[in-house]
Amino acid sequence: MTDERVGRVLGTRDATTRAFRVLVDDDRYLQLDDLVELRTDVPEAGEVATYGIVTEVSATYEGATYDTDTRRIAEEGTLPAETVRTAEVAITRVDPEVWVSPHPGERVRRAVDAERDKALYVDEMRRPLPIGIGRDERPVFLDLDFFDGVKGGHMSISGISGVATKTSFALFFLRMLTGSPAVVGEGATNLRVLVFNVKGEDLLWLDRPNAHFDAAAREGWDRLGVTPEPFPSVSFWAPARARAGGVVVPDASGRLEGVEAFRWTPREFIDEGLLRFLFTDAGDQRNQLSFVEERVRSQLKRWAADLVGEPGAVVLRQPGPGGHTTPVADVDDGDLVVREFSDLVTALESLLDPTDGTDPDPAWTGRVQGGTIAAFVRRLYAAQHRLGHLIGAGESRRIDRHKSQVSVVAIQNLHDLAQRFVVGALLQEVFTEKEQTGQRLPLSVIVLDELNKYAPRDGASPLKEMLVDIAQRGRSLGVLLVGAQQTASRVAQEVMENAAIRVAGRLDAAEAERPEYGWMLPSTRARARLLKPGTMVVSQPSIPVPIVASFPFPPWATRAEEVDHSDDPDPFDAP
Amino acid sequence: MPSPRLVVESWDPSYGAPLAPDEALAPSEGQVDCDAEPGPWEPRPGEDDGVAQVCFVDGVRRIDARLAIPRADGMPIPGIAGSHAVGAVVWDRLGRRSEVDHIRTRRLAVFSSGAEAEVPGEPPVSFDVESEPSDDPDRLVARFHGSMRRAEAELIAELADHGTFVIGDGPVNDTRRREVVGYVKTHRVAYLPPERAGIVGQLAPGLRTPLFVLGAGGTFARWSWYQRLPLPEVRHAWSGVVRCEAPGSLPLVDAARLADRTAALLPLVAAPVHTDPRAPQNLVPIGALERRLRHALGDQRLVYRALLHAVEGAA
Repeated sequence: MTDERVGRVLGTRDATTRAFRVLVDDDRYLQLDDLVELRTDVPEAGEVATYGIVTEVSATYEGATYDTDTRRIAEEGTLPAETVRTAEVAITRVDPEVWVSPHPGERVRRAVDAERDKALYVDEMRRPLPIGIGRDERPVFLDLDFFDGVKGGHMSISGISGVATKTSFALFFLRMLTGSPAVVGEGATNLRVLVFNVKGEDLLWLDRPNAHFDAAAREGWDRLGVTPEPFPSVSFWAPARARAGGVVVPDASGRLEGVEAFRWTPREFIDEGLLRFLFTDAGDQRNQLSFVEERVRSQLKRWAADLVGEPGAVVLRQPGPGGHTTPVADVDDGDLVVREFSDLVTALESLLDPTDGTDPDPAWTGRVQGGTIAAFVRRLYAAQHRLGHLIGAGESRRIDRHKSQVSVVAIQNLHDLAQRFVVGALLQEVFTEKEQTGQRLPLSVIVLDELNKYAPRDGASPLKEMLVDIAQRGRSLGVLLVGAQQTASRVAQEVMENAAIRVAGRLDAAEAERPEYGWMLPSTRARARLLKPGTMVVSQPSIPVPIVASFPFPPWATRAEEVDHSDDPDPFDAP
Repeated sequence: MPSPRLVVESWDPSYGAPLAPDEALAPSEGQVDCDAEPGPWEPRPGEDDGVAQVCFVDGVRRIDARLAIPRADGMPIPGIAGSHAVGAVVWDRLGRRSEVDHIRTRRLAVFSSGAEAEVPGEPPVSFDVESEPSDDPDRLVARFHGSMRRAEAELIAELADHGTFVIGDGPVNDTRRREVVGYVKTHRVAYLPPERAGIVGQLAPGLRTPLFVLGAGGTFARWSWYQRLPLPEVRHAWSGVVRCEAPGSLPLVDAARLADRTAALLPLVAAPVHTDPRAPQNLVPIGALERRLRHALGDQRLVYRALLHAVEGAA
């Protein structure tokens, strides 16, 4: 075994239970993120091992008092001095747990092999999942118990946009998660992932090999113990295209084949109460709109009756005392038949704001001011324009999340209002399904970028409520949120606080100083603005200090140009 | 009568003055031979002969505690306990680097009136003991100082025996034929006769006076010369002036070579005024060496405490 000694605990500054400095040996070096270990003979307690991670290194001339002494030492050589190199170490662990400071002068060694695992608590992790490569080229582990709900749940990823680290890391993490069934254990069975592609088209090629994937990247994946392959089981979903002439085709400009169109029938829209997700502007909760919406939502459920021969379509009729029990076979011109979203808008307008001047039925409006009704109807018209094409009668075209392990929902082409509608509808679907079973397994993972748009810090909306609910209760129900945002300070606090795993890529300098990043060490914060794409700071409850890790280049394509076509069948080959 | 012009000396006042006022340039004793080096009596330029290595040797001392041996029949016998350290800065001129080396420390207790007592203690705080026949308390410090000077002389001799050019702090006290220069910062005695002393005012940095001989004809003859170190401004004739010595046993040609070399080298290592309370005379390597040597003495309070404990423990 090589001598791993790197120096001694410095005696001119206090060593504490949190940090100490190392005087680095002349023929050794310590760099940021290096792991070290030392033993202290503590009276009564015996030998105590201390583990730590290097957070800063410094060098100075010992013996120089004036700035110009540097010239006398280095250039003229007339002033004797010694170069002193020291390293600041944040303590990660003491074993046994006797919280004493290391003694000055103790020999400090690089922590390797088993000692390295102890420094990073890998020995105490029940299910260690590799989530990156440390600076020593060895895997850094995540205690999966803190992600999948056993002891904690959810992951929050922050970072400036443009360096593509947030989504890349989320996808990398998903690949590790889905590619390590042995580590994930029982949760790996029927694990389902719902990914929203909110901008660009980076996530539409997860099933295709990346032409730029090279040997160096392969080596990284080998270190992590996962075969570098595109996601094996992915389905892609895009909203139905507007004005498609009655045909349901997906609206995904970049990729067409293998992408399925989705939309909801009026029946599904009414049954699931999706109306609420049309009122997701933070301002909508301040006036009485939400009150009307609630009324209308429950009235629709009572009034909607199926139509014979027209799946998904409904007719709105006042129900008898037992409600509608059989589908309606005969409709005449006076019936409020809903086949499209526009039909619904027209029907609701006639119910809420009758053109004949009579008062609307208070069962629908709840006696609110006429202005509120008008505002409500205006919203419906606006929604019709933005997302009317997402509702239509016919066979159910909803997203089948059980078709494959990963479902990518491409909503990047939708208007903000429609994006929030789709996200809200799908989150509710996932959450309700799990609420009904009450079981943590199988796990359901949701990946959502631009979380600040869906769960903003200020204001209230049904969507934010939904996300807060998932953050607070999803852990025990196996609904795990992998949320990403450019600025954590703009995301609802309840959502941030409930994420057990926190990850940050490169941060804006001002953003890094905010209290939301209090989990980073001051030195890590200072570095956060310099992190390269592919390098992240990871904090998890089982390790008291954040760890810097990098993740390898993906084997799947993230752009159309990256797709490796070499394995495609030759179209001119005879079958 | 106009008021005379006033100047402020560059040394920190707590160090005294480079020109000691009470014995200001009193006429020197012994013979001074001002005609030892041929040529006109005027400043001459130094010359750097490219010597590869220069050693600066110095020592520091500190009184750690006052001691006393109680006597049943009268006043206690006084003693002192102190520590001194000597060492060298090795200036590698080719490698352009300096290094502190050869640090030697000694802890010594001196008792007066010829008395002796064992001073308990264990390394690193253990004291040698010497006794001084006189009962004059001032002699105790002189004796202790002498011990440091001897240690300096030993180190100078050792380094010079290896052929290294050595610049020692203070006058040379070993006149053997070696490349040793003594470096004197303060001027207590006027060595030059009044008619020759004017040359000092004409010295520019890098120039030296011609050699003169101190103690001429005696057994302890030394070569000597004055030179000036660089100063932002020359405030009076003796600002930044130092006196150097070389062993009298050296032939004139060798002494002149050493004087030329020293005149050229010392301005390179003179301390900038703001960096040292005794600038420019306290040379940069010597200032650094003194800091390291003081450090090598150990913390005074710790030494005092260790001594106290040892004495109480032995009692």
